[in-house]
Amino acid sequence: MTSVTSLAPLAVVLPFLGAAAAFVLIRHPRIQRVVSITVLTLTLALEATLLALAWDSGPQAVNLGGWLPPWGIVMVVDKFSALMLVVSTSVSLAVLIYATGQGVADGDEDGPVSIFHPTFMILVAGVSNAFLSGDLFNLYVGFEILLTASYVLMTLGGTGPRIRAGVTYAVVSVVSSMLFLIAIGMIYGATGTVNMADLAIKLAELDPGTRNMLHLMLLVAFGIKAAVFPLSFWLPDSYPTAPAPVTAVFAGLLTKVGVYAMVRTETLLFPGEQLDAMLMVAAALTMIVGILGALAQTDIKRLLSFTLVSHIGYMVFGLAISTAVGLAATMFYVAHHITIQTSLFLVSGLIERRGGTASIDRLGGLARLSPLLGVLYFIPAMNLGGIPPFSGFLGKLGLLQAGVELGTPLAYVLVGTGVLVSLLTLLAMARVWNRAFWRKPEDAEFPDPVLLATRSSATEVGTATAVADDTGKGRFPGNGEATLLPSGMVGATIGLVGIGLALTIFAGPLFDLSHTAAEAMLERAPYIEAVLGEGAVDN
Amino acid sequence: MLLVLTIHFVVALLAPLIFSWLGRSGFYLLAAVPAGSFAWLLSRYDDVMSPGGDGGPNAPPTLVIEWIPNLDVALAFRLDALAWILSLLILGVGALVLFYCARYFKNTDVALGPFGSQLLGFAGVMFGLVTADDLILLYIFWELTTILSYLLIGYSRGRLAARRSALQALIVTTFGGLAMLVGLIMIGESAGTYRLSQVIANASALTDGGIAIDVAIALVLLGAVTKSALVPFHFWLPAAMAAPTPVSAYLHAAAMVKAGIYLIARFAPGYADTVFWDPLIMILGLATMLVGGWRALRQTDLKLLLAYGTVSQLGFLSLVVGLGNREAALAGLALLLAHGLFKGTLFLVVGIIDHQTGTRDIRKLSGLFRSARWLAWISIIAAASMAGLPLLAGFVAKETVYSAFVHQATSGAGMVMLAGIVIGSILTFAYSGRFVWGGFGIKQGIARTDFAPASKQLLVAPLVLTAGTILFGIHPGPVNGWIEPYMRQFPDGPADPYLAIWHGFNLPLLLSGVTVAAGVLLFLGGRAVSRFQARFRPVFDAERGYRTIIGLLDETAVWVTGRTQRGSLLFYLFVILTTAIVVPLSAFLLGEAPLMPTHWRWFDSPVQAVAGLGIILGAIGAIRANKRFLAVLMVSVTGYGIALIFALQGAPDLALTQMLVETMVLVAFVLALRSLPAKVWRREAARHRVLRAGIGITFGLVMMLMTMAAMGSRTAMPISLRFPELAYRIGEGKNIVNVTLVDIRAWDTFGEISVLAIAATGVASLIFVRGRGDRRRRADGVKTGTVDRGQENLDEFGREAAALALAKKFSNVARDAWLVAGRTLAPERRSIIFEVITRLLFHSVVIFSIYLLLAGHNSPGGGFAGGLMAGLALAIRYLAGGRFELAEATPISAGLLLGLGLGIASLTALAPVLFGGEVFQSAVIEGTLPLFGHVKFVTSTIFDIGVYLVVVGLVLDVLRSLGSEIDERSEGDGDGSMPVARKEEVGQR
Repeated sequence: MTSVTSLAPLAVVLPFLGAAAAFVLIRHPRIQRVVSITVLTLTLALEATLLALAWDSGPQAVNLGGWLPPWGIVMVVDKFSALMLVVSTSVSLAVLIYATGQGVADGDEDGPVSIFHPTFMILVAGVSNAFLSGDLFNLYVGFEILLTASYVLMTLGGTGPRIRAGVTYAVVSVVSSMLFLIAIGMIYGATGTVNMADLAIKLAELDPGTRNMLHLMLLVAFGIKAAVFPLSFWLPDSYPTAPAPVTAVFAGLLTKVGVYAMVRTETLLFPGEQLDAMLMVAAALTMIVGILGALAQTDIKRLLSFTLVSHIGYMVFGLAISTAVGLAATMFYVAHHITIQTSLFLVSGLIERRGGTASIDRLGGLARLSPLLGVLYFIPAMNLGGIPPFSGFLGKLGLLQAGVELGTPLAYVLVGTGVLVSLLTLLAMARVWNRAFWRKPEDAEFPDPVLLATRSSATEVGTATAVADDTGKGRFPGNGEATLLPSGMVGATIGLVGIGLALTIFAGPLFDLSHTAAEAMLERAPYIEAVLGEGAVDN
Repeated sequence: MLLVLTIHFVVALLAPLIFSWLGRSGFYLLAAVPAGSFAWLLSRYDDVMSPGGDGGPNAPPTLVIEWIPNLDVALAFRLDALAWILSLLILGVGALVLFYCARYFKNTDVALGPFGSQLLGFAGVMFGLVTADDLILLYIFWELTTILSYLLIGYSRGRLAARRSALQALIVTTFGGLAMLVGLIMIGESAGTYRLSQVIANASALTDGGIAIDVAIALVLLGAVTKSALVPFHFWLPAAMAAPTPVSAYLHAAAMVKAGIYLIARFAPGYADTVFWDPLIMILGLATMLVGGWRALRQTDLKLLLAYGTVSQLGFLSLVVGLGNREAALAGLALLLAHGLFKGTLFLVVGIIDHQTGTRDIRKLSGLFRSARWLAWISIIAAASMAGLPLLAGFVAKETVYSAFVHQATSGAGMVMLAGIVIGSILTFAYSGRFVWGGFGIKQGIARTDFAPASKQLLVAPLVLTAGTILFGIHPGPVNGWIEPYMRQFPDGPADPYLAIWHGFNLPLLLSGVTVAAGVLLFLGGRAVSRFQARFRPVFDAERGYRTIIGLLDETAVWVTGRTQRGSLLFYLFVILTTAIVVPLSAFLLGEAPLMPTHWRWFDSPVQAVAGLGIILGAIGAIRANKRFLAVLMVSVTGYGIALIFALQGAPDLALTQMLVETMVLVAFVLALRSLPAKVWRREAARHRVLRAGIGITFGLVMMLMTMAAMGSRTAMPISLRFPELAYRIGEGKNIVNVTLVDIRAWDTFGEISVLAIAATGVASLIFVRGRGDRRRRADGVKTGTVDRGQENLDEFGREAAALALAKKFSNVARDAWLVAGRTLAPERRSIIFEVITRLLFHSVVIFSIYLLLAGHNSPGGGFAGGLMAGLALAIRYLAGGRFELAEATPISAGLLLGLGLGIASLTALAPVLFGGEVFQSAVIEGTLPLFGHVKFVTSTIFDIGVYLVVVGLVLDVLRSLGSEIDERSEGDGDGSMPVARKEEVGQR
């Protein structure tokens, strides 16, 4: 084991330390900001090193506390988890900078930011923990960490709509956690272990009926978290009401942790094809129902929440094909979707700020008012819509190739659904462009005063008008000058859009990485032997 | 080749800068890019065309750069004859159109930068499209042209029609594009390569593969059909005329719409005899040619007339190119070039007319023949070429087309095709005439249109194109040579066809004569034709079809979303629980059922049974309770029942923790309940009650059943059997639970305390909203006996109200306080007994909690239980002395406690790493202390201190928020006076 890999737990410990510091420094928002950003940057550097090391090697296990598996908890760094770590932390860092930019611009010294920082750090720690965990119960703990943090972030500001959405979100999440916990209990009952490598061996010894039952229990639990049809309805009702940076990081990361867990379940714990047909059907329905929802929306954030659900279907698609090509495409698609979906939510936050609303009925002329905003929306929107040569297209290309290669009728149905949903996504995204960006601002229905404001009159308009759910206060709570598009927010968005483009340019090496990762995961032995030692598979 | 592409894209990206610097003259600079590339293209002529030793073409210039080897995607380019000819058109017309733009637009026009950038970028993309030698790369460029076309059509974004047409074009062509993508992938996967040239070369091996390839080719053709606007997808093209005229000239006449034709031409040598090829191309091509020509005759807008003309010609082109033999190939490419030359010219002419007169309506234009002679002659020549008059490019091409179809007319279908083409050409002749007459004719009854003399630079582009038309018409030899290598990809025909002005008296010439004669008649009978057309409405309107489909889509979307996205948590839970019941249960019904335990018993001891029964009754009671307080109590019953079961199972640690948690939760609940109505509000008392109960009970039973199955099929020994030994030998502790929590599975605990910290923050943030509210409360300035008064909402004449009044009467403010801030409470709220007990108990409880923390390693206890115990001590202080007492009891803020706890835990995790160990590795420190003697200290206890602090912080946060803060709010401004409403009531009495 390389010495750096043994530092993998630091990907969780560092954000925890950051959270501790943020608690202690709660009265000093400025220092809090610096500490949080520094901590995440360090974490990202560490994770990038882990990825670089994982690039040429197989899975590596870290025994926490020095306790040997299966008794102690083990962390596993392989290509997939390292890739997820780097992507998720990059995105988190961008969102943190964005949120900080927003706070600084509005001079929000005593605002929810003092809660935001520690909570956000813990969210990041939870996500990293879930990606790294090689222990089923610890995976549950990772989920709990990120979910609890997400409850707090979801209800930030405590407005009526947020509390209402928060209740839906929290109750559904708790139900999913309960199912997960019951499943863990059953699995422990049947096998007497929760170490995933150990489970990989012991589950195979169970009778097929019980194995299928346990498999399905886990899938249902993860299906809720990943928002797979029909377990997806809660998502569009809860995400969009949160503040823009929060929605962005939720949309980017949380469902993907569910997808990640599904991938691990399918490859490591329950290999084989028994449930592939069921997953294929679920994938197709998720895609279709999700995108139909998007077409019925006029609010950009809600619309994006539906595309989020819909595109989870693509990830399940690759997983259901369960060949190396399909799995590799799923991994690439997850990385792509985290980045792009988050970018789009950040952009929608900018749109909301510049136009005063996220409803496309009430927006117009944004391309002329802010060409930069136009570019920032257009590139990720086309990316999501599957327009080549962007990463979204490349991911879908991989999925379609996998589907065609498999060649079963159901696979062809998925291929057809995949391209149809790609078209409909494009339609939804282009409709937003047509209305919010192209038409004249005067043509918008009841345009918000901010939309028609110029840079000079922004302060006046911003402080004079109140948002409906934020009674009494001006829109930009800062005392000084209101900035329509603060540089921190714009900078973070540009950075993330840039990362999205980098995914396209470096798609070659990335696909290479995910392909070798997929092969190793399908083989299973490298993972199990990394945890339990050589020769464990044969016993 | 790469250089050409790179320059196009780089300059395109820089275009906004160029325009801000040069204004509209920036177009000249932009035009230089394709013009230079055009020159480069000419210089590569020999490499592309020179025949090799075996008479076939040499390997044309190629370039391959690997991109994504795993997906078989490479940046592969290949400049063969077909690509070369199309590039000639793309780069040549591109340069001219950009040149034309420099005077067509005004400096004041908005968004010239993006526009120029998109137009130049389009030229580059189009060049990439025809030279791409990778199926996926081809698709990438294909779709990029679609997107650029979308942006360019939407240039006049202020107009609804422009936006709508742009979207329509985008969706229709992307629809075809995606079908094509699937087709390309199917071809690529079955060929084992995505290299286009190899796919074409190995066609015969592939086409034997069965229906899959036939379907794949049909899908690819679908892409071509939508892109080249064939029936029934033709409607997007006329609508796309909302674009500025130079865009229409370039994208929708000369270049982009030819992409479909290019694709047909590219695949024809290998795949022209697949099953769906002929039906698709021949039927749709012919239909398009006729429909387009017919509709063109009706148009009064010159640009729309040309647009329908283009539709017609595209049908014609695909028909010819798709025929799939040498003669047709020659004719098709010749026609493609001729069409690019004359249609480009005509569009540019319309642009000039529109620019100078402000209209392009036939019914308003008159007399331009006199005022714009140059323009008129250019148009006449171009239109004549379109109509197929001799000495011009169109004639040469059409003669060869006729010849090719005459050779095909051996069967009935062939005859139909020939007849169709002749009819189509007659229509073409007629609308060509209509264009010239409409644009330039002197019409009776219409005033002569003013025509401001056009700038000379505007005329350059049409002039050059017209020169090309004439040159090609009188000297077709070179074109013959260009097409030759492409033509040779088809099998030998009876005689080698060639382009010429004069082939002698033959059937094609006769057909040309017929075309001209009938065309003249049709043009002259124009009025009759339009009367006939007016009466004869089209049966099927494709555009309306598109709208209907999109409308249906939207309706379906709303319907489905309305059904699934109810916005009701109950509904979502219903779906989730049902899925959680049905899906795992399906393992029992499908395939092999899980093993069930063979023998089982209801309970281990009668007490266990009682506890279990109590839990069930508690749960039912919680649901049935009509008061919140009762419901909460019932929930606690289940909790204490579980604690009892833990205790019975021999887990004192768990039992202790569970009891403490349950107590804390009860306190928190009761505090929170004060701000909620006492009664449970039942919105749907009866509705779905049975259903909901059924689902709940079924869920419970199914989970129980599955757990039994899981236990029943256990095969291996559980790992926990070794925990006692591990805990004692390695963890150095006798309390297995505690060693597990702080050492073996310390990482889990670490995660869970962060959950506690953040849950505490969540509670605080929900109450304080704007922050954690960590500022300290100070009792110094608070008047004695003023706090916690008048918040109760009692029945005026009820027993409680009477008791309160009595308490007020006998309470005494002057009494000494046993507690620091006890004096602040309202006298009737104070209880001397409670204060004394608190005073006596508090410190003992805190010390006991520290004992639990430290002793936990070997006997029941631990940081968690200890922290809860300390929290309970604080709760007692709060209940006895009010919020100021709580503040006095905690000099450190809750936030700081959480931070310190989390920090200590994190540092304990990290410290071992500094000593070269693993994260969280514990160590034992032994030594002899003066007073305590031999002491053994395990470092994991430090971690437990972190846990302890976090738990105390959590409890404090709950008390602060749900207790103190709600107290303060319910008292209004906090001066202890009654709420306003009550005062008034009192006053009235």
